[in-house]
Amino acid sequence: MIKLLQVMMDGALVGLLYGLIAISFVVIYRASKIVNLAQGEVLVIGALLLWTFTLGLQGVGFHIPYVVGVLLTFAACVCFGLLLERFVFRPLIGQSAFSIFMASIALLVMLRGIAQLVWTAETRPFPQILPAGSITFGPFLVSERLLIGAVFTIALTAGLQLFFTRSRRGLRLAAVAEDHNTALSLGVSVRSAIAIAWILGAIVATCGAIVLLSGRIVSLEVASIGFKALPVALLGGLESIRGAPLAGVIIGVGESLAMAYLDPFTNGVASNVLPFVVMIGVVLIRPQGLFGWIKIERL
Amino acid sequence: MIPTGIYFDTYAGEASLLKTARARVWTALLVLGLIAAPFASGAYLLGVATQMFIILIAVYGLHVTVGMAGQINIAQSAFVGIGALTTARFGEYGLPFWAAIPLAALVTGAVSVVFALPAARVKGFYLALTTLAAQALFPIVILGLPETWLGGLVGIPVEPLTVGGYVLSTPKQLYYFTLCLVLVATYAAFNLHRSRFGRALKAVRDNDVAAEVMGINVLSYKIQAFFVGSLFAGVAGACMAWVLQFVTVESFTLFASVWYLGMLIVGGIYSPIGAILGVLFITVVQEGLHEFGAAILNSGTHEAGGTIFAATNVALGACILLALIFEPRGLAHRWRVLKTVFQLWPFPHR
Repeated sequence: MIKLLQVMMDGALVGLLYGLIAISFVVIYRASKIVNLAQGEVLVIGALLLWTFTLGLQGVGFHIPYVVGVLLTFAACVCFGLLLERFVFRPLIGQSAFSIFMASIALLVMLRGIAQLVWTAETRPFPQILPAGSITFGPFLVSERLLIGAVFTIALTAGLQLFFTRSRRGLRLAAVAEDHNTALSLGVSVRSAIAIAWILGAIVATCGAIVLLSGRIVSLEVASIGFKALPVALLGGLESIRGAPLAGVIIGVGESLAMAYLDPFTNGVASNVLPFVVMIGVVLIRPQGLFGWIKIERL
Repeated sequence: MIPTGIYFDTYAGEASLLKTARARVWTALLVLGLIAAPFASGAYLLGVATQMFIILIAVYGLHVTVGMAGQINIAQSAFVGIGALTTARFGEYGLPFWAAIPLAALVTGAVSVVFALPAARVKGFYLALTTLAAQALFPIVILGLPETWLGGLVGIPVEPLTVGGYVLSTPKQLYYFTLCLVLVATYAAFNLHRSRFGRALKAVRDNDVAAEVMGINVLSYKIQAFFVGSLFAGVAGACMAWVLQFVTVESFTLFASVWYLGMLIVGGIYSPIGAILGVLFITVVQEGLHEFGAAILNSGTHEAGGTIFAATNVALGACILLALIFEPRGLAHRWRVLKTVFQLWPFPHR
């Protein structure tokens, strides 16, 4: 019984981390109607930038506090978002969904290549920004890093939810997510929406990287977390910020239960397969996810 | 476009693939040139050409699914892998090549139908997500299965290809074998455009509601588009198994899928000529980067190989983005413009 609860609690915490990365998907979709398959690569770029501004600079003799390093990384994320908007997505405004989807796939290979060219494929230690220890609650053991991440995810969800549903600017972004042409005709700037989307997406992904990697190893393979977060985003609903953490908990608990009770019999397949089976299931049964917008099509 | 003064008396003439004598002569010259090529080139170049033919077959399949039917498929590499594994597995039982190729194609097609079924509920990029799931599941499932089934982490060695009692193993023999297959695949891809099936796929792509009203079973055609696209992938996989002599999961990554799609987009998704031009262009860029990279870096080291791979990825991503932004119709459209200019010379307009 204690093992079951412990497994479920670990799953929920990891799930909230998936939720955090899923939020970075949702933020981009919710503000610009771009499904960004390259989110894992964005996360890796964020992580590598953060490494550069902390341990990388330390290596060449500049000791700056982690807080400043994180702020510098966020500033770099702003530049990243602006660059992407100007050179990739601005020329594609009004193009078919196919073009925009393919552009994100092109970004996937391109960002991976750039990361490898600039930082090389070697693995490097990630700065210890969040504490590494564990807290004991009675018989249970909780990782401090994931606990802080979970609290942060819930707070971020609440904040972004308020921004997207209550603020004027957030509501404008919702119009862009509905339809680019309609938004343009109503005087909403699609350009600024796309820029905001990518800046927010990159910053949230960097936060995800901090929670995921703090005190661990960063390498290009970390990008595969993006494909774990995609089913979470889909289950929560691509337009729904608050759906993401809930879906993350569902998939996280499911995954860790599968890992504890099914993997010994299935050669470790069950837990890896689960997110993708959930993804196909969601597409088949409820394409809009738990809280997404139902698309009504008319002739 | 056909030059002025050429007309047809029969429907067969109107519908023929090579409409003019000039087109027939050029095509014959091209085929003769491809047949003669091994006598003028080294083993390395032949290897590159063989690889290119195999990729071209897979990209033809993608052209059917993505270009003709408008359904995004980012699992083509996994489907090629299924074809390759099928060939390797049944090759152990001494299956002859003329049975192995259709078998690989059909098995691949059957698997693709499973992942095309969500077309009943969703369209657009949601369908693309199920193919993404297929691509992600492929290595997990193969690695999870017992090693004696599909090779697992180690891979399966492939029995050498035997045609009529002769073992084909030299680069020249494999070149001719893949050349034969790619000629058949090319004919199939061009022929598809003038069949009822091809026209139905294009109707589904352009407007699925209108297609439904015209009496086309949209769901069935969407699933068939995946099936036919995967038949090509299966054939490509069978070829790849025989050429590489060894099949492992690691050869069939998401990146390979993206590369296939990238080739199609750069070439132009709407015609088979686009597939040919795209594969040719990207291969030339890739080989060029290889030469260039090898000249700068001290080649042979592990790190240099990684850097070249990274540079090719950046180049491919840039090519896709440039094609999407500046020429969504791809190189095929440029090729058509060039042909028209050539035919009209010295007049600038018709």
